[in-house]
This record gives sequence, C-alpha cells and structure tokens, in this order.
Amino acid sequence: MSEIEFEIDGKLVFANQGDSIISIADREGIDVPRFCYHKKLSVAANCRMCLVDVEGVPKAQPACSTPVANGMKIHTRNDKAKSAQKAVMEFLLINHPLDCPICDQGGECELQDVAMEYGTDVSKFNLGKRIVADKGIGALIQTDMTRCIHCTRCVRFGAEVAGIVEMGGTGRGEGVKIEPFLTEGIQSELSGNMIDVCPVGALTSKPFRYEARTWQMNAVETIARHDLVGSNIYTQTYRGRVKRVVARDNELVNETWISDRDRFSYEGLNHESRALHPKIKKNNKWQETSWEIALDFAISGLKKNAQNADQLGVLASKNSTLEEYYLMQKLARGFGSENIDYRLDKANLSIGNTMLSNITLAEMESTDHALIVNSYLRLEQPMINHRIRKATLNGASVNTINNKKFDFNYQTDLEILSSPQKTLLMLQSILKSLHERTKTTVPKYLSKITVDDSQNKIADDLIAAERPVIILGEHVNSNISSSDIASIISEIAALANAKIANLSLNGNSLSAEKVGFKPSNNGKNAISMFTENTKAFLLMDVDFNYDFIDPKLAADTFNNDDVFVISLNSFEDEITLMNSDVILPLAGFYESSGTHINFDGVAQSFSASVKGPGDSKPGWKIIKVLADILELKGFEYTDSTQVADDALSMSSANNNDLVENNIKETDDSKVAVHWQYSPYAIDGITRKAKALQETPIGKMNDAFISLATAKELKLSEGDLYHGVPVSINETVAEGCVFVHTYQSRKG
Amino acid sequence: MISDQAKKEIDFWVTKYPEGRQSSAVMQALTIVQNENGGSLTGELMQEVADHLQMPTISVQEVATFYENYNHKPVGKNIIRFCHNISCMLNGSDELISYLEEKLEVKTGEVSKDGLVSVKKVECLGACVGGPMCQIGDQYHEHLTPSKLDNILDNLK
Repeated sequence: MSEIEFEIDGKLVFANQGDSIISIADREGIDVPRFCYHKKLSVAANCRMCLVDVEGVPKAQPACSTPVANGMKIHTRNDKAKSAQKAVMEFLLINHPLDCPICDQGGECELQDVAMEYGTDVSKFNLGKRIVADKGIGALIQTDMTRCIHCTRCVRFGAEVAGIVEMGGTGRGEGVKIEPFLTEGIQSELSGNMIDVCPVGALTSKPFRYEARTWQMNAVETIARHDLVGSNIYTQTYRGRVKRVVARDNELVNETWISDRDRFSYEGLNHESRALHPKIKKNNKWQETSWEIALDFAISGLKKNAQNADQLGVLASKNSTLEEYYLMQKLARGFGSENIDYRLDKANLSIGNTMLSNITLAEMESTDHALIVNSYLRLEQPMINHRIRKATLNGASVNTINNKKFDFNYQTDLEILSSPQKTLLMLQSILKSLHERTKTTVPKYLSKITVDDSQNKIADDLIAAERPVIILGEHVNSNISSSDIASIISEIAALANAKIANLSLNGNSLSAEKVGFKPSNNGKNAISMFTENTKAFLLMDVDFNYDFIDPKLAADTFNNDDVFVISLNSFEDEITLMNSDVILPLAGFYESSGTHINFDGVAQSFSASVKGPGDSKPGWKIIKVLADILELKGFEYTDSTQVADDALSMSSANNNDLVENNIKETDDSKVAVHWQYSPYAIDGITRKAKALQETPIGKMNDAFISLATAKELKLSEGDLYHGVPVSINETVAEGCVFVHTYQSRKG
Repeated sequence: MISDQAKKEIDFWVTKYPEGRQSSAVMQALTIVQNENGGSLTGELMQEVADHLQMPTISVQEVATFYENYNHKPVGKNIIRFCHNISCMLNGSDELISYLEEKLEVKTGEVSKDGLVSVKKVECLGACVGGPMCQIGDQYHEHLTPSKLDNILDNLK
C-alpha cells in the first residue's frame, strides 16, 4: 500500500492506494452530500449526489467510486461541483413527494438536509409525480415507497450484511420500485437496520409511526442487554417514555448495526401489565400499598419464614444488571445464606460449564474456520453471527454440530445432527480423532470411543485452520452433560489450537459470574433450592412461566403456602400474582442505571434513559433499602456507580475449573427435549414487545421431531407437544424433540 | 410447475457458465418457462426458477421485470409489439395503435376475446428507417398502414 498525496479543497492530504475520495473527505471532515454511499456497504454510485470536481477531468466525478490518485486536485464546493450536485438534487426531487410535515423521517432526513443546501425552492418539473403503492413488508418496517429515491442501500444491506436478499429493484427506468418479492414480511433478524440506512422516509419504524417528531426527543447513550454483545444504542425519549431505539456506532462491539430484538424490545416497557405500585398479599387478597408498608411486610415475612438463614433463596434472571447481582448476593451473604443463583435455565449446575471465552468480537471476523456446537447462532446472537458471516465472506469455513439443521445466512460445510444425549460422545470422538492426528497420547477414558469419517473431517478442518474458533451455544444449557461437553471442548480447543467462544452464558451472565452470583460453600443452587426446604425467596425479574428449566418443580415450591416469595418484577401478570407474596415494582430496561459485561469482558455502564412508570424503582435501590431494613452493613451507597465500582473491583472467582474427565453412561434410551425460546421470547420485555411478536421469527411455534421419534412418542403432525404443534421433520436429530417457540412449556 | 423437460433445457444453459454461476442462466430459464406457460410468467414460476438456479427470488423478479420480453399477465397467442418511440411516433404509430385497439376491441396490454392477439407498446426496436413498425413473433413488419395491418391480422393464426 503506497501513500498517495493529493489535494482536496486546497488541503494537502495523504491516503492509501484504492481509497475513495468520499472516504478521505469524511476523514478530513469535508462534507460531501451522498445518498447511496454507506461506509459499511458496497459502492453503487447510483444516486450521483456526491459529484465533485477533479481537476483535469472534464466531467464531475462521483466521490464514492473514484479512487484517489497522486497529485489529484479535488474541489468539493467549487461552482462546477456545486452545479453538478444541484442538478442531481433537482432530478431526485422530481418524484419525491415532499410530504415532510407528515413524514417520520422529517428532521433526521438526509434528503431534507441536502435539499436545504442544494435544492431550489421552485421546481422546473410541472408534470405529475410518480406514486408507488405500498405492499406492506411486516410488523417492524413501515414503507412509504413513493418517497424512495432508489439509492438501493436497503437492497445492498440485505445482500451484503443480513445475508438474506429480500428487497430488490424491480422494473426499469422511471418504473423502478424497491420492493420484496414476498409480502408476508421481512424474515431477517437484522431488518431494522434498513430503517437506519434508508436516507429518506421510505422505510421507517412501524411501532414508532407518528409517535413523536425527531427533534422533540432526547437521545440517551445506553446499552442493550438482551444478548452477550451489549450493543451500543441510543434510546430516544419523549415525555418520560422510550419512543425509539437506534444504533450507536462502536466498531469493537456492534459496528453500526443492531439486531431487531435490541431495536424493538422497548415496546415491552409500555405494556399494560407493568407493575406500577407495591403490592402485598394479605389473607390471599392482593392490595396496593406504599413502599414503606410493602418493604416492612417483605422483610417481616422473610424473617419469619427464613429463621434459619439457610432457608432463604435468592434468584435473579440472566438479564439483571451487574449492580443488582452484586447487591443481591451481598444481601444474601450478609443474611447468612449461600443459596444464590441466576442459572435458572440450566440443567447442570456443576462448575465446569462456565468455560470462558478467549476471543474478542472483533477477532471473530478474522477467524478462518468456525465449529458451531449447539447453537442457532443467527437468531440467538445476531451480532456475533454477523462477525462469523463476515469471516465466511473472507473464505472461512463453518461446520456445525446441532440438534437440528438451522438456516444460517452463510454456507456451512458439514452439518452434523446430534441429539443432546449423543453430543458428548460426538465431541469425544472428535477429541480422539484430534489426538490420533496430532500423534498425542489418547487418554484412557477415550480408548473405547469410535471415530467416523465426519468426525475425522471436523478434526481435520480444525487442524488445517490457522485461526479456528469453537462456538458453544445455549442449547447446551438444557443438556445434563453440559459441564462435560464444555470440558471436552476445552480439550479439543487446546489440541487444535482453537479459540473458544462460550455463548451459553447469555444475557448479562458474565456480570453474575463476575460477582459470584451462584452458590459456594455448599449453598443451594437453582435446582436444589426447590427440592431442599427453602422457605423464603427473593426474586429479581424472574418470570415464573418462562425462566425455569423445570417450571413445574419451581411452581410447586412457590405455590406452597409455607413459602414466602418477594418478587422484584417489572410485570405483574397472572402467574406472578399467583406465586408471589409481595410485588415490588421494578424499573425495567432503560429505566435504571447499570452495567452489562459483554462477550469481550468489557463492562459497559449506562444511565437510566427514563424514570420507571408509577412507583417503580431501580433494582439496586430496592435491594439497598431491603438490606438497610435488615440492618446489614456495607450498603451505604448513594449512587449506582459506587456499587459498580465495588462490584468490578471484586476479584473474580476462578471459574475455569474443569471437572475431571470420565465417561458417564448417558441414558440415550430416553427422548431428550430442548425447549428453545424464539429470540423474541427470551426475556420479559421482549415477550411483551408487540411488533416483534408479529414477525415470522416471533411467531415461531414448532416442536420438531423426526419420524422415528414421533412414532416412539406416538405423536403425529399437528398434535400438541406441551402446547406446541408437532412438526415432523427430518432435519432434526433422532431421539430428540427440538421445540422452537414463543410459548412456555405447558403441562 | 416447471416440467422436467423445461428443467433439462434450463440445465443445458447452466452448463454454458462457469461452475457456481448457474444464476447467469436466469434469462434463458425465464424464456423457457414463459414459453411453456403460454407466454407469461407467474409468481410461482419465478419462485421455481429461483429455487432451481439457487438464487434469491427477488433477483429473478428483478430480471423478469426489467426486460420487456417477459410478460406478467396472460397474453394472446400472437403478441404485436408496437414501437411507439420517436421515429415511429412521427410517422403515425399512435394512430395505428388506436386503430388496432378499435379493431381488436382491446387496450394495449390486453388480450383479444378470441385469445389470438395481444398488443403491447414497446420501446425502439432499431428499425426506425421502416417506421411505423411492429414485431410479431420473430418477424418485423415495417411501413405500416391500416390496410397492411388488416392484412397481417387476417393471416394470424
């Protein structure tokens, strides 16, 4: 790469061979108008708005597709450039409706901004304007295609980033329309980014439609904590409500994209079932009350039921904040209880499945081979999947070992089907194959393991790669052998010199791990709490229907009259009212300050965007006051940042202990079930976000079973399996039911 | 449904392109499928072409709507492609098209009642020297007059 020296608007600048004029202008802070150019998309050069004057070239040149050259003299604002830009603007405005007063894009519209500077107030065009009928493309994106200026950013976004080509330009010349083929709705999990890339009001947010004008809103920098990435976002608020979420650039985390889950989940905050006031249950009747009475009621109930400190159980969802985890565990331990856990959805709670990742998000995209185990990466971690997709575009190969074949947005080489009960054996075979190939001693416990061709290929691919990564997904959580699986993966990674990405610790789990939000010293875990005489529970943001791996076991305990349940919850739906004794209204996402620790181990703190509705309070404050009433020491906090400082200065418990390897007889005579929530049903707020539920992804509701297994279970197509319709399908492993649904398990 | 015969023909065209570039055969594939379907395409057919050539359906639709030689509504057995660009227009193509519409009792884009003829306005066919002109099948008819058109229509089967 040779340095090039040239002049732009009289300023001497340097660039590399192949840089475009517009990228250097952007770097130098010189504003060149553009519509079709986007730094993360390919260059189309079809809007012609970025025409600039290059000395010695007779016609103005598009800055986006003209590479810089030595000695070039570029003028972006001289008469020639300006008149070219103005001429293009005039053409673009011929068919644009100029309905800015009723357009949601008004105020943040690139066309509006550029028209202010380059447009004229009178049009020479006096014929009829083109209108385009709207087809409707789903619940998330509002289309007004008459406003479209055919920049094709959304088309290129689909083809290049989302990996699903959904939008296209049909017709020709003046008749061109940007539209999808199907009208049943856009399928991509990243579709909302089309709203961000659209420079005009053709694609706008449907849930946000007519909610507020852009200049009326405050933008607050914050973090989305639905997944491990912690995408950087702005919440835009108006009159104390979050009205919209848009992406915020952070190259290391989410680049400029966010998933639809992060973008549209805010709708759940305004759901009618929000808990607004403290409530207590007296003589089996609920009554609204003040915070003082509710807190006293909670503490006296807790003291009465947990006379022995060991009878208190403290549980939190995997989406709580670092501060909440820290204070909750401090309260429990101060009270004398070690019964603390956030791993409500895991079948195996031994220590080995907290294997740590040793690769960063940004490094993911330079990997040259990925082995995906137990994950539908595209839907579960959309931004991590995007990094892997970028790697595949650079030639990386991908193999998968999953319970079911999934629809990835890139080519996969080898897709191995393996039921949960056979996954450990599968990985052991791969480990053995690796030992044989690297000529290392095969450990004794692998001596009886057999290896087949596909397992050899997986081993070969790992060895052949220079920068391989093994991704362990969240489907492993329901696997009773998850800790063994994690430890075998660690061994495979060590032998193959591969990095590990452990995505089974989802949401804000890394914060919980950081502060030790799980039992030590023989405390009870999220399963044994329900089997071993726990009399009082303190619950943070727990959904009784959805969160527990064995909801029936949990419900039996909570329903027991002897058990006192304090629920800190943002929602008071039927099941919460049934199972709790006190409801303390909890400020939800974006309503509380906090910290999320992401996949890279980076603690990203955020402040509250809005105040919680009604009397709801941030979780950390509620727990601090509970601790004060319990007269526990060390809760003298006035600000959540003090809590975060304390939490982050904790030395992490050593989580990377791996269990001793030994072969356990896995019982593969039984059919294994994996209950996977749709990506829009993973936490309380997404489940209550209405638009997300109306998308094809939100409506997923299938219990996939292979024909042989269905016969064994005496199920046929369309029968209900725990409330979910059976779909007989040969893309699912034998001996396994893979349920992909928005519903919780019934019966 | 695309017939097996048509799929075979499409696969012949696929072999003309380098491996992995099977989508380059989309235009031939659409032509084959359209001919088989009596001269027009449907959404399902475009979907099938996309599946057969392993390409996004919208990309097939982009091609099929870009080119004038694909029809998206049922057409007559014979399509009269009437040029209405400048040279033909100056020589009276508009009057001739009106004459055709009256005689056949159709509007451009529609099919005559007997299903024999449909009329389509097209852009310049490169025979300006012979305007006004039209194309029927593979045949150009130039220097058209109403009586010439009558003659042509009488001979259409």
